Amino acid sequence: MRNPFTRLFAVSLTVLALAGFVAVPAADAAGGARAGNRGGGDHARAGGGGKNVQVNNSRADVRTNNVRSTSVNNVNVNRNVNVDVDVDRRGCCNNGWDNDYHPIATAAAVTATVAVTSAVVGSIVNAPPPGCVPVNYGGMIYQQCGGVWYQPQGPQFVVVNPPY
Amino acid sequence: MLHKMLVPVLLATALAAPGLHAQTGAAAAGQPAASPVDPAAIQALKDMGAHLQTLKRFRVSTELTGERVLADGQKLQHTATARMDVERPNRLRAVMTSSRSERELVYDGKTVTLYTPAQKYYSTVPFTGSLAELVEQLERRYGVEVPLADLFLWGTPAAPLDKIESAMNAGQTFIGGDLCDHYAFRQGKIDWQIWITAGGKPLPRRLVITNRADDARPQSASLIDWNLNPAFTGTTFRFTPAKGATAIEILPRKTK
Repeated sequence: MRNPFTRLFAVSLTVLALAGFVAVPAADAAGGARAGNRGGGDHARAGGGGKNVQVNNSRADVRTNNVRSTSVNNVNVNRNVNVDVDVDRRGCCNNGWDNDYHPIATAAAVTATVAVTSAVVGSIVNAPPPGCVPVNYGGMIYQQCGGVWYQPQGPQFVVVNPPY
Repeated sequence: MLHKMLVPVLLATALAAPGLHAQTGAAAAGQPAASPVDPAAIQALKDMGAHLQTLKRFRVSTELTGERVLADGQKLQHTATARMDVERPNRLRAVMTSSRSERELVYDGKTVTLYTPAQKYYSTVPFTGSLAELVEQLERRYGVEVPLADLFLWGTPAAPLDKIESAMNAGQTFIGGDLCDHYAFRQGKIDWQIWITAGGKPLPRRLVITNRADDARPQSASLIDWNLNPAFTGTTFRFTPAKGATAIEILPRKTK
């Protein structure tokens, strides 16, 4: 985020994001496909239907990220000691194998972070800043840049709440 | 017609099993049971678990429907699929596909690798142990869930049946052409249902889990397909990084 242009870009996108992802310019998405598609090759598409197209969630309503709980997929794991542990934990941050929807921005997080940092939760960039480290947490891939966490979203990267 | 004839036969069979139904004679006659746990339903889980543990090699596929509950209680549904190649006691390859990502999990008895093809990132950690231990440790250490994790736990001490608070037989139905016994259970904050193939080789064909920890009761449903004669090769359970793939760290799960 040292590059002032990148900063401006991220902030302007954030405004769009907060407005409901209504109008991410098509040109940006196309640029992102080149810049962000690191070594994707034939596997760049998300799983899904096996067609060589990617999902595009840029127009998804922000409310879809405000997840309070999820279904559970097994009846035994973590429940032999305390039957409630796993059910409750999933509502927060760690999802089942089927659920790769990271909670990007709860309402509280949005109001708390706006205008405070340059990498606002929910903002989208074509590539993470230099110095970010790719890590796997909870089975999902992130780019960790100090206290800022990015998650791949199609060919781009979205700032998410830190997973822990 | 077939079903109408089956019911009296099943009832007669149930009444003729005094050991299992010592307390539930009233239930069989349509009266409320003294105990909400039907021992025959528990026994069906035991039999299925024992049979699952005898399967040495299999390929199992699942289609899952899950739900997310939004802040106001509205629910969104999503789907995912997984295919798992399994060789007991300690080999597994799982391919998990959702609309946003595809991931692979490979365990060869010595190391376990999680691979994300889209980014070509993989993480490998040493591990030895059974598949049941793998499932538990992946969840506990890394917060990584193995699809159909219960398949590896039923029939082991990691799937205790004495925590079940309610158990009942819900009749029979067909799942994908297989006649199945349908059972329903309540356990802590979850209600769950399972459809087990009828006959001497009981396999789970469908699993539905309702999460009662949330008023909206998000529910998952997994359809389960079996191939008991899979063709595995020497590389089925070996992870070989693709060209250009990069090893990255997998962080241990943090507690909040």
